[in-house]
Amino acid sequence: MKQVLLPRSMNDLWAMMHDLPDAAVYAGGTDLLVKMRSGLIPPKDLICLERIQALKGVMVHGDRMVILAGTPLSHLLREPAITRHLPVLAKAITCLGSPLIRNMGTIGGNVCTASPAGDTLAPLYALDARVELASETSVRSLPISRFILGPGQTLLETGEILSAIHVEKPHPEAIQHFEKVGRRNALACSLASMAAILRLSDGGIVMAASLAWGSVGPTVITCLEAADWLIGQPLSMDRLTQAAAIVQKAVCPITDIRATADYRRAVAGNLLLRICEQKMGNP
Amino acid sequence: MTHDIPAVGCPFPRFDARSKVSGAEKYATDEYAPDMLWAGARRAGLAHGRILAVHTNDAESVPGVFRVLTRKDVPGTNRQGIVHKDQPVLAGQKIRHCGEPVALVLAENREALKLALSRIRLDVEPLPGVFDPETALNPGAPMVHAAGNTLLSAVIQKGDAAKAFSDCDVILEDCFEVPFQEHAFLETENGFAQQKPDGSLVMTVSTQAPFRDRMEIGHALGLDFSSIRVISPYLGGGFGGKDGATVQCLLALAAMNANGRPVKMWWDREESFIAGYKRHAARLYYKLGAGADGTLKSLECRLYYDTGAYAHLGGEVLELGMEHAGGPYRIPHVSIQGWCVYTNNPVSGAMRGFGVSQVAFAIEQMMNRLAEKLCMDPLELRLKNALRRGDRNSSGVTLMHSTGIVSCLKTIERHPLWRNRADWKARAGRFKRRGVGVCAVFNAMGYGRGLPDSAIAKVELTQEGRIRVYCGVSDMGQGNASAFVQIAGDMLCQDTGHLELILPDTDRTHPSGSSSAGRTTYTYGNALVRSCLQLKEKLIHRASLVLFLDEPVGLVLLPGRVRHLPSGREVSFSTLAAMLPESDRTAIDQHVMTVASDGNLNASGFILGFPHVLFSYAAHLAGIEIDELTGGVSVRFYLAVTDAGRIINPQGVEQQVQGGVAQGLGYALCEDILLRDGKILNPSLTDYIVPTALDVPDVASLTVETVESTGPFGMKGMGEVGMNGPLPVVAGAVLDAVGVWVKRSPVTAERILEALGLNTGAGRKL
Amino acid sequence: MSIICKINGNDTEIQGASDRRVVDVLREDLGLTGTKEGCGAGECGACTILVDGEPRLSCLMMAVQLQDKAVTTIEGIGESEALHPVQEAFVEHGAVQCGFCTPGMVLSAVNLLSLHPEPDRNRIRRALSGNLCRCTGYVKIVDAVEAAARAMAEGSKP
Repeated sequence: MKQVLLPRSMNDLWAMMHDLPDAAVYAGGTDLLVKMRSGLIPPKDLICLERIQALKGVMVHGDRMVILAGTPLSHLLREPAITRHLPVLAKAITCLGSPLIRNMGTIGGNVCTASPAGDTLAPLYALDARVELASETSVRSLPISRFILGPGQTLLETGEILSAIHVEKPHPEAIQHFEKVGRRNALACSLASMAAILRLSDGGIVMAASLAWGSVGPTVITCLEAADWLIGQPLSMDRLTQAAAIVQKAVCPITDIRATADYRRAVAGNLLLRICEQKMGNP
Repeated sequence: MTHDIPAVGCPFPRFDARSKVSGAEKYATDEYAPDMLWAGARRAGLAHGRILAVHTNDAESVPGVFRVLTRKDVPGTNRQGIVHKDQPVLAGQKIRHCGEPVALVLAENREALKLALSRIRLDVEPLPGVFDPETALNPGAPMVHAAGNTLLSAVIQKGDAAKAFSDCDVILEDCFEVPFQEHAFLETENGFAQQKPDGSLVMTVSTQAPFRDRMEIGHALGLDFSSIRVISPYLGGGFGGKDGATVQCLLALAAMNANGRPVKMWWDREESFIAGYKRHAARLYYKLGAGADGTLKSLECRLYYDTGAYAHLGGEVLELGMEHAGGPYRIPHVSIQGWCVYTNNPVSGAMRGFGVSQVAFAIEQMMNRLAEKLCMDPLELRLKNALRRGDRNSSGVTLMHSTGIVSCLKTIERHPLWRNRADWKARAGRFKRRGVGVCAVFNAMGYGRGLPDSAIAKVELTQEGRIRVYCGVSDMGQGNASAFVQIAGDMLCQDTGHLELILPDTDRTHPSGSSSAGRTTYTYGNALVRSCLQLKEKLIHRASLVLFLDEPVGLVLLPGRVRHLPSGREVSFSTLAAMLPESDRTAIDQHVMTVASDGNLNASGFILGFPHVLFSYAAHLAGIEIDELTGGVSVRFYLAVTDAGRIINPQGVEQQVQGGVAQGLGYALCEDILLRDGKILNPSLTDYIVPTALDVPDVASLTVETVESTGPFGMKGMGEVGMNGPLPVVAGAVLDAVGVWVKRSPVTAERILEALGLNTGAGRKL
Repeated sequence: MSIICKINGNDTEIQGASDRRVVDVLREDLGLTGTKEGCGAGECGACTILVDGEPRLSCLMMAVQLQDKAVTTIEGIGESEALHPVQEAFVEHGAVQCGFCTPGMVLSAVNLLSLHPEPDRNRIRRALSGNLCRCTGYVKIVDAVEAAARAMAEGSKP
């Protein structure tokens, strides 16, 4: 029998982590407990973060937003700050798992699990998010692109938790677009996903573009070359098609039981074309 | 709560719905006892091998382990099976599939069970495996069973197919492939058993065939079947996957080795994938010939069904597939050859649409291709060739019973969704391509000739003054139990407050066959009608005595009482019951389903089942939208038109249609058992993709009411036919939308995108 | 260890291992077998319960997480004499076939209607997208939730 502990505060947490240094930390358990059941992770003592209020909520300071890592995903969808300022992230959350999973899983968990298919990751990369890592004695922050090293691997150290995610609000008129491709419309592992934040001038010229793809590499792929191709030009189908070809060369997907690399590569590029629907509207 | 008198033909809310919706209804999974043991099987984990040793010492020493059993602990024949008994309860010499059970552990709790199972070591000499049915028929292929890899090979012939091709203006040939499909019922295989001091067994099992289970267990373990009591509560889904022993023999063996303690076995989801039964994967070669005006003339088929490691109902599945290979069409010349072949893949067995779902795809795609070739409307082509009453079908059987496929197709023809399809397609948005497909499908009912399809119904006036139906067939969710209450209530004029139901229990109800083959409401219903008539007459006669009448005339049954209409006097059911011994308060009767009378049919190789004579028919219509960027297929509208004879419960028919279509859409779009060397790569609901509420559209259901004069109230079984429509109709819609020719399922986004990418002209193949 | 919580309104003390799954505590220790298990991995929703009114997967919760919580299982919905409008609607509209998914579906639907009293069919489907059903094709379940919403708004029978 293993212990499962329920800290009520950060102080509780540090004390418990001190007492059980080999314990696994979880919030929702929708990744960890599934992996433990299937034997991918051996039985361990567990520390559950769900009662720590200090890890929940969203704060807005001017243009900066702080998303506390222990906030359940469905609660984020009820935060006006998220839906108003970060629709690219909100859209990704609505595509994640199921309502039940979203009631339990947290954004911090999704980031720390660092699956190449993690639904919140591409939006967070497109937003240039920074992760805040806290230990009993210190706090540090990193760009998310440096925090995640590979599938299931992060720079999280023993004695640390992911405490918050920091993002800058995109320009209020920026186009924020997200699409996930899965084998069904819920409870689906992403086969490919794309997050895009584009700022257009009044004349329709692309002034800034932040693009990120999920499930097409060991971590999220940002393909600056494709973004650069779009910048300074009107947003047209032709331009997007050319950018798509660049993306298809830049991604490095794998073939697994869900999809082939060829499919993922093709779709990663194709998803760019959907952006013209945002600008030109759907007939 | 008001109690209504059920009326056959009107919607009747499920009798079991209230208890299910409040969580009160107990399934087999809900049986627990304080001193119970948990039982679990160690599965081989490789597809083909010779067992050298099974080491159980490490398992036995796990704290909490009660016993570990292997082959040597199995009495009797150690062979289970429904028709063909070829499946070991515990394998002793050979492993034939990854799910082969090699040891059985009994433990005090699930943690000890799991640990013990992981500590059992197998010494195995791996053998080369065979994983394709055609390859398995080649000389020199690895032998799954000593007697060879052919479980069954058969032929159906009519006329002279080869010669008739020379008279055809169009001849088309193609090959189709469909994968294994998983039932994925929410309640996995499970049971609860205890051996009594007298040695008899009492078992509560999630099973579609409690009476046959006793035979199977008895044969496998050397027990007298009458010493085994099987109780069958409502199943949390079955769809064929709980027809035939799943846990039963292992569970009985465990109970016999538990010192009288109750034992529970409940397969977790992974084990259900690995060890449970599947729909047969198949490869289907078709050659179809027709005249320039679309008249079908000749059909040649070679059908290869992959039955996996053991027979289960493989021969019967092949048989039914062969009977349906020509679709619901008039084809004067046919030559249908079929092989049901052993491989080292998972065991295939019964699944809704039983061999028919596979061939429905093939024949309907051939029809779509023919329509395209002849520039004919696909609906018109089907109408032209659709079977009518009095025709002979592909097997040569004369269709004298209700045959409503033409009405189904005509209903579609008149429907606005069909009529407005061009408009609808033209309104596709950016990056979307729309298509509309239509199909005609059918599915036989009953066991067919050679295995009497029978049921025995019992109804009783209880001492409390209620009418109790002793249901002989399991209800796996299709609502047959409720239909029986509806029938009894209507015939005996009783409201739901005076109606009771006993679910199948081999001690209390009577053998009535399996819950399968679309047969239960028909066969048990017919028996029930007879016994209700018997009981009614008896109650009226006895009431006339109680009321001191000279003759039993002018008496009617009302809820809870009998009334003499001329005088207005009544006697209550409870008063009547008090005056009658139990044997005089019951009525028991039987029914045996009619079979085809046609002789001189040219078919060979079948053991039982050939031919069938009662069929339900359906025509389905669907509109799909393909996304050009992802290849994703979305079903935008779906209409099913079904001939189920007269309808006993309209709500029940809709339920079956919508449910069958949903499972069929899974089969069409996303369900795929992925195998490598016989090992399932996706044994979980994470990676075996079953449709969610966001994946199935609103399914509209219409019926054409023929009268099946042999069925109770004119009905016939229709639980399976809905399953057969979605794959053909989606394939037809894909052809219409993007000119891609689908030859295998599922029709995934990846396959569509690949086919679109290779577009150089019309009719790219998938 | 000892966990204090409320289950269906009743103060409950749960003894035993803190790493026991909530679905097992409910079914085996408390005899509340209305909560089902279909996969053990959060993929089917059969184990759905309400925790402080919010639907969660009890197969992915550890017993200790029940501490101080108010849990509602299917047994806590409706009264013995009268079903909840959602349950009534499921019965009337044919939303129950084998019934194994039904407790989870009902709880998810009850929660949906508490947040969105007038959901359209798409919203209903999204709310139920974590509850798999293999029998119904979902259509009548959506019909039933729509009818329950209307009934609850009008105070009438679904």
